[in-house]
Amino acid sequence: MLFARMLRSAAGRILCLCCLGQAFALAPLAAMADHKAANVLVIYSNGRLLPANVEGDRGLREALSGGAGPAVNVFDEFLDVPRFTGAAFQALMSTYLREKYAAQRPSVIVAGGPEALTFCLANRAELFPGVPIVHMAVSDVFLGKLGRLPADVQGVPIVYEFARTIEQALAWHPQARHLVLVTGASPQDREWEAQLRREVPRFTARVHPEFLAGLTTPAVQQRLAQLKDDTVVFAAGYFRDGDGREFTPREAVQGMTAVSGAPVYAAFNTFIGTGVVGGYMLDYRGMGRQAALAVNDHLHGTRLAQAPAARAMPNALNVDWRQVRRWAIDERAIPDAAVVHFREPGLWEAHRLEVLLAVGVVVLQTGLIAGLIVERRRRKLAVQAEQKQRFELVHASRVAVVGELTGAIAHEINQPLGAILSNAEAAEMILATGAQRPAELRQILADIRRDDLRASEVIRRLRALLEKHQVEHKRFDLNEAVGDVESILRAEARRRGAVLEILLPVPAVTMVGDRIQIQQVLINLVLNALEAVAELPEPRRRVSVEVEKTAGRVTLLVRDRGTGIAPDQMPRLFDSFFSTKSTGMGLGLSIVRTLVEAHGGRVTAENGVDGGAVFRVEWPAAGAKNRRNMEQA
Amino acid sequence: MKDKRTTPLIHVVDDDGPLRTALLRLLAAAGFEAQGHASAGDFLLYPVPDRPGCLLLDVRMPGPSGLDLQAALPEHGVGLPIIFMTGHADVPTSVRAMKAGAVDFLEKPVQRQNLLDAIGRALVHDERLRRERDDRDRLRERFALLSPREQEVLEQVVAGKLNKQIASALQVSERTIKTLRAQCMDKLGATSAAELGILVERMRRGSEG
Repeated sequence: MLFARMLRSAAGRILCLCCLGQAFALAPLAAMADHKAANVLVIYSNGRLLPANVEGDRGLREALSGGAGPAVNVFDEFLDVPRFTGAAFQALMSTYLREKYAAQRPSVIVAGGPEALTFCLANRAELFPGVPIVHMAVSDVFLGKLGRLPADVQGVPIVYEFARTIEQALAWHPQARHLVLVTGASPQDREWEAQLRREVPRFTARVHPEFLAGLTTPAVQQRLAQLKDDTVVFAAGYFRDGDGREFTPREAVQGMTAVSGAPVYAAFNTFIGTGVVGGYMLDYRGMGRQAALAVNDHLHGTRLAQAPAARAMPNALNVDWRQVRRWAIDERAIPDAAVVHFREPGLWEAHRLEVLLAVGVVVLQTGLIAGLIVERRRRKLAVQAEQKQRFELVHASRVAVVGELTGAIAHEINQPLGAILSNAEAAEMILATGAQRPAELRQILADIRRDDLRASEVIRRLRALLEKHQVEHKRFDLNEAVGDVESILRAEARRRGAVLEILLPVPAVTMVGDRIQIQQVLINLVLNALEAVAELPEPRRRVSVEVEKTAGRVTLLVRDRGTGIAPDQMPRLFDSFFSTKSTGMGLGLSIVRTLVEAHGGRVTAENGVDGGAVFRVEWPAAGAKNRRNMEQA
Repeated sequence: MKDKRTTPLIHVVDDDGPLRTALLRLLAAAGFEAQGHASAGDFLLYPVPDRPGCLLLDVRMPGPSGLDLQAALPEHGVGLPIIFMTGHADVPTSVRAMKAGAVDFLEKPVQRQNLLDAIGRALVHDERLRRERDDRDRLRERFALLSPREQEVLEQVVAGKLNKQIASALQVSERTIKTLRAQCMDKLGATSAAELGILVERMRRGSEG
């Protein structure tokens, strides 16, 4: 087994060597046939940490693939301009690379940046003759200066779209009257400055341009801090300032946006996040990917020349949403195609389901609440309507009861009227006789006045009973309320041949409520009692009313000497339309209960020990708490 | 000063003090002597003097009503005519009162002219009653003078018997009957047998009434 494996291995090696020979003959496609891993050397112009390099490298590595062959080794080298420049450095670097990669000969070289391309072109012969070069991050302008390149040096040029960026900035800031352009002191910075100086005159009709070229960083920052929002800043960023301090352009721009009083625009997407608003920018990662595709073509044997090379890397409008907000740029003016950074996804985008659920719940809840409110309102209206109806019924019943008392009322009014008439006629006759009896006449007049008042008092009380008054909640003396209707009730009792006794042993019995309604309770109970004794022989027709007061309670007792209440009638006694009489609606006692309960009291009926019915009404007395309330009211 | 016994005295029975006072005042102004009583009981306790007059009575009063009083008066020997006053004249009450001999039924408030007219009528009525009573009393006195024998003869005469029949029935002579008959006519003040008949008739009616 072991021998067999060794044999197969030896055969493989021989095959490899053959292939290798063929590969050399067929260079530059030799690498494809080589079963060893392909090497790609990437030489960057600037330092390792330049964000553009980092992004480009990421894109490159993402897209590089060995295809069917072995993995690809990627080596990175950095010329680190503008910190290291000059012919001596370049020669040293060339020697270094040649020695370093002698054993790891690259299949393709990627030149990242104009300096790297220049270096590669200049040292190609000594370094890696015949190795194809793919360039990236080299501007069309720079390529134009290089003139025609060898066929195996290819790449997609990049375009610095400074003018387009400025144009967009001015569109977003219609109020801008000044344009400040910041560039640095390194050769690359100077090139950008040159490009800007070529392009800016297009805008001078609208804005006044001001170059801050090659100034010291503090000077730049001081100037930027003075700016107002009638200005737009375009910053290319710089590698070196007027003091010779080195920066990455990203760092330089970060220092500017921190202090600038005006919006800062730029043309490199690596600046996004530093505080620049945006601009037409190259996607360095996309650029790296594009370069990788070209490298893959070499590695896989697809000739670059055959692939239709893009004329330039496309730039996209990038914009930092936070800056859009900060500078109050009209959101509608931002094209849909723009790449928007740092826009918080709307609640809707981020949590569609949750939002739908929450909205649904809220809608349901709102519906429920609305329903409950509507229901509550309807119930309130119904309660109000019921109260109004009950009030109407109570009033109608009172009017009907007063109607029953007409005879008694007529008596109560006729008595004083009769007295007045007789007195007046007596006075007339006295005067007619010509007799001088002034004292008697004065007495007659006094009596007339008294009787007149007596009659009007009857009418006043009657009106109070009949009036549709607002229900009151006032303190009053129950004895007085009873006294008000006493004379009418007595007259009614007399009319029916009955005797009404009214016992008010306590001097004053204060309670709170509606006096008229309490009187209605008394009238109904007394009329009920009078009905109960109506069939008895006259001497036994007796009804008594008594007011009692105990601690916290006021009691009104109405007793009759009738036949009492039959046990089967007891439970329904206070029901509406229950009546043992042939006449009457059966509302009297039900209204008594309604009114008593409306005053927080209760009414009970029982048969007295000496026969007859006893109606007992109990109310809470006007307590100290109530008294205080009433005084406050 | 007129004789108290012949001037009328009006009795006012009404529980309503002010009204009673006003009525008494009016009656006084009209020249009547009047006496007020607050209830039926008060009136019955009061010794009613034997004078012409009438009773002004409220129908409805606490305790015994006017009608009760009306019913009780004959027992107490009070024969005064009654004028009822009421605030609400219901038909059954007034019928009952009138049947029981009320002379008038006045509705309150009572107007002076109605009241005085009613009182006038009542006093006339009272006077007639008194006169009849006096007549009856006098007649009774005269009848009291008759001996038992004379009374027997009188009954037969009034019954229309002849002297001869009476003599036969009493088993006395016809002459004796003639004498007794003459004595009857003399004692009773009659001039003929027909007059005797009228007197006896009046006597009988009076003792019934």
